[in-house]
Amino acid sequence: MGVVTRKKLLSIIALGAMVVALLLPIVMALPSPATGEEVPVAEGAQKEGEKVEKARDVYYKTEGIVVGAPAPKTTDGPADYPRYNFESRVLLWFANQQHLYYGSFVLAVPIFCMIIEFMGVVTKDKALAKRYDQLAYDFIKISLTAYSLTAILGGILIFTFLTLYPTFFSYLSSIFRPVMHIYALMFVAESGTLYIYYYGWDKMKEGFLKWIHLSMSVILNVIGTLLMFLANSWIGFMMSPAGVDEQGRYLGNIWHVIHTALWNPLNLHRILGNMAFGGGVVAAYAAYKFLAAKTDEERAHYDWMGYIAMALGVAFLIPLPFAGYWLMREVYAYRQQMGITLMGGLLAWLFIIQATMIGILFLSTNYYLWQAMGRMRGAEKYQRYIKYLVFLLACGFMVFITPHTMVMTPAELKAMGGQQHPVLGNYGVMSAKNGGINVIITTTVLSFVWYMRGNKVSTVSWARFGNIFMGVFFACAYINIIFLAIYGYYIPANVRVGLSVPQVATTLSCLFFMFTLNSMMMKGAKQMGPIEWGKISARSQYALIMLATAFTWMMGLMGYIRSSVRLFWHVNEIMRDNSPWAYTHTVGFAANVISANVLFFWISILFVFWLGSLTAKKAPVESKVGVPGAIPQPAGSH
Amino acid sequence: MKALMSLGALVGIVGLLLLAGMIFDIIPSNTIRLVEGYMPMQMLFEVGCYVLGFTGLSYMLNAMGMGIPRFWQGIGFWIFFLLYIKYRVYPPIPFSVRAMYGTVGLVAVLMWVSANEEDWKKFKQPILNVLDAQTGFNKVLRYVYLIALPILTWGFSYNVMMPKSEEPIELRTVHPAPPASTKVHGKTYVLQTSLNPYRVNPEGKYDQEYSNSLIVEQGMGRLMKPNANPWDEKAEGYLKYVREGGEIFFQNCHFCHGDNLNGRGLHAFAFNPIPANFTDPGTIAQLQETFIFWRVAKGGMGLPNEGFPWASVMPPWEQHLTVDEMWKVILFEYWHTGYYPRTWD
Repeated sequence: MGVVTRKKLLSIIALGAMVVALLLPIVMALPSPATGEEVPVAEGAQKEGEKVEKARDVYYKTEGIVVGAPAPKTTDGPADYPRYNFESRVLLWFANQQHLYYGSFVLAVPIFCMIIEFMGVVTKDKALAKRYDQLAYDFIKISLTAYSLTAILGGILIFTFLTLYPTFFSYLSSIFRPVMHIYALMFVAESGTLYIYYYGWDKMKEGFLKWIHLSMSVILNVIGTLLMFLANSWIGFMMSPAGVDEQGRYLGNIWHVIHTALWNPLNLHRILGNMAFGGGVVAAYAAYKFLAAKTDEERAHYDWMGYIAMALGVAFLIPLPFAGYWLMREVYAYRQQMGITLMGGLLAWLFIIQATMIGILFLSTNYYLWQAMGRMRGAEKYQRYIKYLVFLLACGFMVFITPHTMVMTPAELKAMGGQQHPVLGNYGVMSAKNGGINVIITTTVLSFVWYMRGNKVSTVSWARFGNIFMGVFFACAYINIIFLAIYGYYIPANVRVGLSVPQVATTLSCLFFMFTLNSMMMKGAKQMGPIEWGKISARSQYALIMLATAFTWMMGLMGYIRSSVRLFWHVNEIMRDNSPWAYTHTVGFAANVISANVLFFWISILFVFWLGSLTAKKAPVESKVGVPGAIPQPAGSH
Repeated sequence: MKALMSLGALVGIVGLLLLAGMIFDIIPSNTIRLVEGYMPMQMLFEVGCYVLGFTGLSYMLNAMGMGIPRFWQGIGFWIFFLLYIKYRVYPPIPFSVRAMYGTVGLVAVLMWVSANEEDWKKFKQPILNVLDAQTGFNKVLRYVYLIALPILTWGFSYNVMMPKSEEPIELRTVHPAPPASTKVHGKTYVLQTSLNPYRVNPEGKYDQEYSNSLIVEQGMGRLMKPNANPWDEKAEGYLKYVREGGEIFFQNCHFCHGDNLNGRGLHAFAFNPIPANFTDPGTIAQLQETFIFWRVAKGGMGLPNEGFPWASVMPPWEQHLTVDEMWKVILFEYWHTGYYPRTWD
C-alpha cells in the first residue's frame, strides 16, 4: 500500500512538473519582451531629449514605436550569402524538409498514442485493452528514436541558416528573439515530458496511475502543438509579415508578429497534415512488417495496426482539403497576386500535381477498404457495386486534375481553336474542382460505411427504413454536390466561393450522420463471421505504402509551393532575396528535389524502424501476444 | 431486372456502334452534339451511360453463356475510354490531358479488376497462362511477346530520343499574377481595391448588384434580360455605359476577340496563340475587373516576368484609349458574356 501511495505521489509530482514546464515559457513571456524593450527605448529616448519614432504596421495598420532595425538590403556576396560551390537554397531546402518530415512525425505519433492509450483505458475487453496499450507503446517507441533525429536535423537546419543565409537569419532572429527562446524552452519541456511518459509506461500501467500517465500524454501533445504553432509563426511572417513597418522595423508588439494573416490557417492545415502524414507512416511501417511477417499471429497484429493507423490518418485526411481551401482563401484575401501565382499562374502546374496526389491518397484509401472487406465473411454483397464507386472516384479525380492551363503543342493549340477547351475548360476552374473533390470524399465515406457493416446484418426493427434513408441521403448528397458545382458557373464569383460551404457541409453531413446512423443500426447486429485479421491481400499493404509515399511526396511539394510563392522575397515585400537563386525552379527540377527528399526520408525512417525492432526483440513475450481466440474489434469501426 | 439489363445492353451496343462510326469517320463527332453550356456534364453523363450499358451487355452475354473474361473486360473498357476521349470529344483534347485521363482510366480499371481476390485471379489468369505456356498457342504467344516487347521498347525509346522539328511545348502562364498597383495616364490604381466607375445604377451610384442583375443570360442564346437593352435610347447608368463600351469594342477589339467575344475575330488565326476567349469560364469570369483593366492598359508588352514566354500581341491600349473608354469596354465584355467579375467580399 505504502509503495503504491509513493508511486502515486511521485506520478502526481511528475505530472505537476510537466504542467509547470509547460507554463514556464508562457509565464516568462507574460511580461512581454516587446513591452520590456519598448519602455527602455522610449525612456532612453526621452532622457536624451530625442524624438520617439513611430511607424505604421504593414498589416494591422496600427501605430507603434520603432524598436528594431530595418530589414537589411542584401547584396550578392560572401557577407550576405556565403556559399559552397553549390546552390545554397537547395541545401537549405533539404535540411528544412527533412526536419519537417521528422518534426511532423514526432508531433503526430504522440497524438495517436494518446488516442490509442485512451481507447485502451476505456475499453472493457481486457485482451483488447492490452493490445491497444501495446500498440500505443509501439508507436511511442518508434517516435522516440525519430525524436532524437528531429533535434539533430533542427540543429543542422539552424547551422545551415547561420552559415549560408547569415544576414537573413540574423534579421529573423532579431524579430523573433523572445519567440525563439520560448521555443527552445518548450523543446526542453517536450523532451522531459516525452522521456517520463515513455520510461514511466510500465510503472504506471494500471488504475489511477494509468490516468496520470494518460494526462502526461495530453500535456506532451499540448507542448508539441504549441511548438509547432511557434514555428509556424516564422513562416507565416515570411509570407505575410505583420508587426513591422514598411522598412521591416519591429514595432514592439510580439503578438502582431506571431499572429499574421496566414498563421491560423497554417496552424490548422499543419495539424491535420501532420496527423494524416503520421498515420500514413505508421501504416506503411505496419504494412512492411505485415509483408515481412512469418507467422499468422504477426500478420494479424500488423494487419490490425495498419488498419488503425490508416483509419486515424484518413480521419484527419478528410477535413484536410477543406483546411487547405481556407488557407488559400486567406492567401487570396491577403494578396491577390499571391493567390493567382499559386493557383492560376506560375505555380499552377504544381497545384495540378498536388491535386493528383490528393486523388491518389483517396483512391488508395478506398482501395484498401475494399481489400479489407475481403477478410470479412458477408462483405461479398458489396463487391459487385464497387465498380460504380470506382466510376464515381475516377470521374471526380479526372475533373479534379484537369489543368486550367493545358500543355499542348502549337499544332494542338490550333486544332483546339484557342487556349481554352470548351468542354474541359469548365473542369479547370474551382467550381468544378470543388465538386470533384467532394464527390471523392463522399465516396470514401461510403466505402467506410460499407466496410463498417461488411460482416454484419442489422437487427434493429427499423433496419429497412434505415437502409433506404441512408441510400437516399447519399444520393441526395451526390446530387447536391454536383448541382452546386454546375450552379457555380451561373453566379458571381464572391457567391460562388461561398458555395463551397454547402458542398463541404453536405460531405461532412454524410460523414457524421451516416457514421452515427450506421453505428446505431449495427448495435447488436448479427455477425456473419469474424474479421479474420491477417487474411488480407498483399495488394492492400502496397496500397498503404502508396498512401504513405503519396503523403510524403505531397508534403514536400506543398512545402515547396508555399515557400516559392514568395518569389524573390525572403520576407514578402519587406526583405528582398538578392542571392543568385532568387528565381523559381522549373517544375522538373523541383519534382526531382522533392523525390530525393522523399527517398532520403524513407531510407532514414527505415533505419529508425530497424532500431525500433532491435528493442522489440528484448520486449517480454507476454506483452506481444493477445488472448488466443479473441479477435480484436477496431474502435470506430465495429 | 432482365428487362433493365436488356435496355442497358441495347444502350451499350448503340453507343459502341456510334463510337465506331466516329472512329472510322463514318459519323462525324458532332452528329450527337455537345450542347454549348452543358458540354462538361454531357461528357460525364455519356461515359456514365456507357458504363451502365456495358454492365447490361455483360449481364446479357453471361446469361447467354457467352460471358467476356474479366481480363478482356478490363482491357476493353480502357481501350474504349481512350478512343472515347480521342474521337468523341471535339475540339480535340491535347495529348497531355488525354495522357492524364488515360492514366486515371487505367488505374480505375486496375482498381476494379483487383477489388476482390476472385476478380483479380480471373484477371491475372490469361497472363499467367501465357507465362506458364501449357498449350501450344500460349507457347507461341510467349515467344511473340519475348520478341515483340523489346522491339516495342526500342521503338518507343527511339521515338522519344529522336530529335523533332516540332515547336517545343511551352508551359504558358495564361493569367500571370498582377502587380499590386498599376499607373495608367498618370494615375495609380490599386488592383485589390479599385472599382469600375461605370458600374452604376441610374442614379449614378456604384451598384454591383444592380449591374449583375442586368447582364445577359449565360448558356445557349445569351438572351438579354427583359427591359435591359443597352441600345434602348432611354437606357441610363450601367446599360448606357455598356452600349458605349460595345461601340468601343467593335471599333477596336472585335477584329481579334471576335463578334461573339470568343477569341475568333477576323485576324485571330494569324496569331499563335489566338486571342483570349472571353466566353470561356476560365478567363474573365475568374478575374477581377481591375485585372482586366491592367491587361488592357498594358497589353502583351506589359506582361510581368511570370507571363513567360510573353506570347501575346495585345497592344497596350493606354496608348490608344482613355481610362474611361477602357473601363467601359470591360463593362461591355462582362455584360455580353454573362459573367460576373470576381469580387472578394
